[in-house]
Amino acid sequence: MPLWYDDAELLRHRRAAAARGWERWVLAVLIFLGVQSVFSFALWWFRAHHVNSLTLFVLLSFATWYGVFRILVGWYNLFHVDQPEPIAAPPGLSVAIFTTSSPGEPYEMFVRTLAAAREIRYPHTTYLLDDTRDPRFRALAEEMGAVHLELVGIPGAKAGKINAALERTSEDFILVLDPDHIPFPEFLDRVLGYFDDAEVGFVQVAQAYGNAAESFVARAAAEQTYAFYGPILQGMHGTGTTVAIGANCTFRREALASIGGHGIGLAEDLVTSIRLHAAGWKSVYVPEVVSRGLVPSDLDSYLKQQLKWSRGVYEVLFREYPRAFRSLTGFQRISYLMIGTYYLVGLTALIFFAVPVIYLWTGRQPAAFLLTEYIERALPVGFFGVAVYFFAQRWLCDPDRERGVHWRGMLMKMGAWNVYLHGLVLAILRIAVPYIPTAKERRRGRFARLARVPLVMLALSVLTIAWTVYLQLYVVPESEVLITTEVTLGMVTFALVNALLMSGRLYAAWVDRTRGGEA
Amino acid sequence: VTARQRYKSLFYALGWLIAAGIVFQIALGSGMGRFFAVVDERFSRIAQFFSSKQSTAIRTARQTSRSEYLAPLHTTLSSVTALRKPERMLFGIYDGGFPNTFAGMEQLEGALRYKFPIISFYSAWGDKPTQQFPIRMVETIHSMGSVPLITWEPWVVDFDERLRTNLKPVAEREYASLAAIAKGEYDFFLVPWAKAAAAFRKPILLRFAHEMNDPYRYPWGPQNGNRPEDFVAAWKHVHLIFQKMDARNVLWVWSPHISMPWFEYYYPGPEYVDWISTGVLNYGDIASWSRWWSFHQILEKAYPTLLRMEKPIMISEFGTLASGGDMTEWYRQAFYHVTHTYSRGVKAVVFFNQPNDITISPTYPLNWSVTQNNRAIEVVAQEIGRLSAL
Repeated sequence: MPLWYDDAELLRHRRAAAARGWERWVLAVLIFLGVQSVFSFALWWFRAHHVNSLTLFVLLSFATWYGVFRILVGWYNLFHVDQPEPIAAPPGLSVAIFTTSSPGEPYEMFVRTLAAAREIRYPHTTYLLDDTRDPRFRALAEEMGAVHLELVGIPGAKAGKINAALERTSEDFILVLDPDHIPFPEFLDRVLGYFDDAEVGFVQVAQAYGNAAESFVARAAAEQTYAFYGPILQGMHGTGTTVAIGANCTFRREALASIGGHGIGLAEDLVTSIRLHAAGWKSVYVPEVVSRGLVPSDLDSYLKQQLKWSRGVYEVLFREYPRAFRSLTGFQRISYLMIGTYYLVGLTALIFFAVPVIYLWTGRQPAAFLLTEYIERALPVGFFGVAVYFFAQRWLCDPDRERGVHWRGMLMKMGAWNVYLHGLVLAILRIAVPYIPTAKERRRGRFARLARVPLVMLALSVLTIAWTVYLQLYVVPESEVLITTEVTLGMVTFALVNALLMSGRLYAAWVDRTRGGEA
Repeated sequence: VTARQRYKSLFYALGWLIAAGIVFQIALGSGMGRFFAVVDERFSRIAQFFSSKQSTAIRTARQTSRSEYLAPLHTTLSSVTALRKPERMLFGIYDGGFPNTFAGMEQLEGALRYKFPIISFYSAWGDKPTQQFPIRMVETIHSMGSVPLITWEPWVVDFDERLRTNLKPVAEREYASLAAIAKGEYDFFLVPWAKAAAAFRKPILLRFAHEMNDPYRYPWGPQNGNRPEDFVAAWKHVHLIFQKMDARNVLWVWSPHISMPWFEYYYPGPEYVDWISTGVLNYGDIASWSRWWSFHQILEKAYPTLLRMEKPIMISEFGTLASGGDMTEWYRQAFYHVTHTYSRGVKAVVFFNQPNDITISPTYPLNWSVTQNNRAIEVVAQEIGRLSAL
């Protein structure tokens, strides 16, 4: 318990351990064995006599090999795990901190954030980019020694305000601080030194969250970020593909100016960083916890955030990526492609869900191999995937808190599959994410809405299994039942597992049913 | 200079990686083989467990089952000794849908209002999982109350060249393959197969290397330098392995092609054979080499030779095409001869229910199924009813 509730511990500066020589060797061996397992899995999978129903086989192959390919690229990235040597911040730089406030955001949050920003040791000016029209915010900014910028009615949401503020200010370096993050006093000291290199356009630090213990959803959302801000971004640093993540990124004004200001869009951070990389700017990732923020703690906010992200990321994939492609380095091309296709998991999840249901209702089977063969061949790949995942946890930013299986994160990722799919559809049809009012809703309605997808899937699974049992008992010829035992068993198991994968989201919706009135 | 050095070291590193990869793949292939075998065995036991539960559940739910229908034959079908000298005529079926589906068999059985005590299917040698001992199939057949007849085809080319480095290259393997089998070159495959067969414990009719005397058919025929003595030696070797593995539940079905002369030289001897079988298929007028032969015309010449071997005779592939004559009449006459002319020898008839036979020509599939003709079905149903009621 004290792990998550001790404020002094949470608000302490931390740095991820650097990879040591022997660790790289172990990693190299694990990855080598993993790649070999993938190779042997591929040689086995792609055989003509494995095709049963061609359409389904193609779909299943896509879903499977999309996942395996991501694992491979992940290993490749991880192999480059690296972190920059700390460089002391040279005195005399002019630094601005931008933090934005919008109508509806809680006042208390700004009290904490602005107070913490004031305590940052390196000399700086804090700007509150405000469109709340709330006089309390102006007063607060003045009280906390921050400059209040009244920026009402500017299109482009947060990024629009940042661009407007850029015009009114002149500092050479700008830290974009999310208002739900509490920065530590050493923040700027840990970051500014890297701008010694004139080619560095932005420096990103880790994002760590303080409210993971608040709820199941918060824990899950935090779990989804651990590996990213630990080993993954350090690998990206090694390959020169560090991306800017909306919050806690420090930019060089000159760099932002060279691309016509901060990018605008649902994934404005990603838009900005792909443009900066295309313009030739370098990026640095500092694997240090120098602030603590908040993750969504209720299901509704979490799902809205996920929809926004998936829609925004696809936008980058479809619009920015083709434009930037020629100017990116090889590593960056791969990296942005991987980020851009991350939310395809919504599509592959649908395929995995559909396979057993289609088989049990129609008898159409994608592949002609036995379940046992599949398990045997996929097992080494899974084994090394898990082994590398756990081995890389030594490079987490806050290993004591962050180590683990992260099953909540995985369950919530699977539970949000339809949101990711929705994001893909919206991006293809070029529909902007509909504005969903955040006003309080009635609790009962809320559960029905949030739990609809997992409940439908649960019902479908139960119905499918019941129908299968009925058919097997009364309709299908005895011989047919007996010769298909293995397939039936396998498919029923898959259907059950798929239903179980929905349990995280269902649980979260159920908990929110009674917590719904708060916040 | 540095760029060149870098490329050089990259080149070496790549070379080492590839070498290590090959070593690992080989190790994975052979080392995992044992692990796979264990996993397969476990899973097959789980599947068997569920299968028997399904069987019980169906019996309870439907108040009837195939094995109950066949219960009167149970004593014959469950005993190796009884199967060597069957008291009654046994009927069997091979269906084109095996081993993927039993729907075709169910359809024919429904049309005939009868359940076949023998279920026949084909299993090839090779490295693929589907070419190992067909445990699922034999277990299913057993729980349906029938006895399996496995036609076991030594397709020696189906062993993977990369895995089986001690074998000859695929291209050279077919020549004198029976002699190679006799020498023990394929024991790596035979031993686990025989072990699995022994573990099954219930009777299996095994028809190994059928039509070995036909030079126009299978690679184990005389056209590939396989002499009769090679066949006999291979048969005895395979038989010996099964004895060593204690597979006493296996009944040996020797199956020459009777239209070819001197098939008797391929006979391994009475102590190695339990049944004699042959196909009686009438190809009608579909090809230049065929014409409409009756059952009697096909069998009569070879019958005395077969009879002298004093083993029960099985018509292991029984059927006629429709083209060139009257199917119904063919079956009527066939049954007449089975019950009169050949009643001393013929103890089993296995229907070749293959509506889609592409062994002669892939573009012109042959339909051997009785179900294509309603009158033929009626005749067969009556005859089977009469014979099985005896």
